[in-house]
Amino acid sequence: MITIDKLTKFYGNNLAVNNISFTINDNEILGFLGPNGAGKSTTMNMISGFLPMSGGSVEICGTDISKDPVKAKSNIGYLPEIPPVYPDMRVREYLSFCAGLKRIPHGKRSDEIERVMELLSITDVQKKLIKNLSKGYKQRVGFAQALLGDPKFLILDEPTVGLDPNQVMEVRSIIKGLKKDHSVIFSSHILSEVSEVCDRVVIINKGVIKAIDTIENLEKSVGGSSILHIKIKGDRNKAASVIENTQGVSEISAIDAEGGEFFAFTVNTNSDADTVRSSIMSELLARNIQITEIFTEKPNLESVFAQLINKETEKKGLDALWDEVGGQPGPLELNSDDEPGEAGGKEDEE
Amino acid sequence: MFSIYKKELQSFFFTPFAYVLAALFMFLFTYMFNTGIGDMDSNVYEFSFAGIFYNVIFYFIFLVPIITMRTFSDERKFGTEVLLMTSPVNVIQIVLGKFLANITVFLFMIAGSSLYPIVTAIKGEVVVSQLICAYIGFFCWGAMYIAIGMLISSFTENSIIAAIVGEIVMFAFLFVDDFAQTGFIAQYPKLQSALYAFAAQPRFEYFSQGFIRLSDIVFFASAIIVALVWNYISIERRRWNKG
Repeated sequence: MITIDKLTKFYGNNLAVNNISFTINDNEILGFLGPNGAGKSTTMNMISGFLPMSGGSVEICGTDISKDPVKAKSNIGYLPEIPPVYPDMRVREYLSFCAGLKRIPHGKRSDEIERVMELLSITDVQKKLIKNLSKGYKQRVGFAQALLGDPKFLILDEPTVGLDPNQVMEVRSIIKGLKKDHSVIFSSHILSEVSEVCDRVVIINKGVIKAIDTIENLEKSVGGSSILHIKIKGDRNKAASVIENTQGVSEISAIDAEGGEFFAFTVNTNSDADTVRSSIMSELLARNIQITEIFTEKPNLESVFAQLINKETEKKGLDALWDEVGGQPGPLELNSDDEPGEAGGKEDEE
Repeated sequence: MFSIYKKELQSFFFTPFAYVLAALFMFLFTYMFNTGIGDMDSNVYEFSFAGIFYNVIFYFIFLVPIITMRTFSDERKFGTEVLLMTSPVNVIQIVLGKFLANITVFLFMIAGSSLYPIVTAIKGEVVVSQLICAYIGFFCWGAMYIAIGMLISSFTENSIIAAIVGEIVMFAFLFVDDFAQTGFIAQYPKLQSALYAFAAQPRFEYFSQGFIRLSDIVFFASAIIVALVWNYISIERRRWNKG
């Protein structure tokens, strides 16, 4: 088990990681999610013992990494963001050097190297110079290095970046397979990857933990709300006011002009999506607006992520949405005395 | 530590690097040897191998930074320092492993020069004790320069800058006693004696005359230790200040 307690990192006066605490259980894959610059890599560098922490502690199997780094590090395999490979070495040579660094006994070294090369299917490039390998292969060589010696904990910083889709699938299945007798911390900004591979997720933004939970719980936390995508043909103003006033609609989050009379609405609901959908449909049809497409988007990690990260982003008014489509529609004020028109009028006075 | 040592040696010997350096050194040594032989008839000049070593040192300072320039700067450039730092080895082992590897390359480089005394001994006479002392002195001086070169390499991620700065520093170390003798410095006796304390050249002179003095050994050993400890501090400090 890795226990991270009140971990803090200052870069000069810049607070990069602020007082974060969580644990990684045995045989667990923990996803580490956050936008760029959230402090993911910094945290991982601290857990692996590369960067010293400004405060707090990291305990690996009960060994404090700042007190007994050599013992703590022997339980860790680390793949940093940029694979730490020597361009002038051959793949096998490099892995044998790493095996030595990790103090794998001489007799077992060559078997161990064979094993990891097999696992990451790099056996056929073992005699190549690393500088001649493609990005994906370099990444895999770096990954192989982390797996050498079968460490209990694996820290992988964006392991699938730069791989082609097939390799991504392979690496994901390798990570899943590792769960049997390893714990994995795994950072990514690809949400589908995290939800596919990880048991639990830590969401971090600006150095602060926003959520730690299983994926199911996180998805539940978004509640009954879901997103409706509606494409219509006809009077967009009428449609917008109808949709906005339907019960269960919390807001229209986007309107896209699709050319001609076609418009796509993205609608957030706050109650059961099916009921809202059917009432919107009947309302629109009653007003002679054609619906060309309508579907419900299930709540997923993406929306959880967006909610947690972008809590500060405010609701856009309909006005702003009209601006995005291409200016306030002229006939709107003539046709209706709805909120959008009034709001627009107020702005004009200012 | 051994695996780092081995890896460093591989990076020297699996590439033309070590061989080119050794060839260059041999070229210098041969040139000095030939001029020495040529001057044999002159009344002022006394041929000795120690004298050749003395001359070689002036060129040698351009070779040592080339050995050491990549030691730490390349690790930084390729991001491989992360690998070393997150492996179950400590920084002292990393520094020592690399130091020993550089020393080995240095020994390989000067090994060829022993050919000349051997041939001379067959055809003529060589003062063996003086020769051995000269070798020991040369080795001490080289080891000190390697430690200094490694330290400079740990300051930058550009190996060319490490080499150039290394050459300047080593040049300064070589001529610090000449500098101390200038009239300007002589006005300040305290400064003069302080500068003398850093002078390696007079100490090498004792070695080349066949003396092994404890104070000289201590001078080189302490310079090496200071440079290596500083090296350790510089790496640790960089980890703390990173970002």
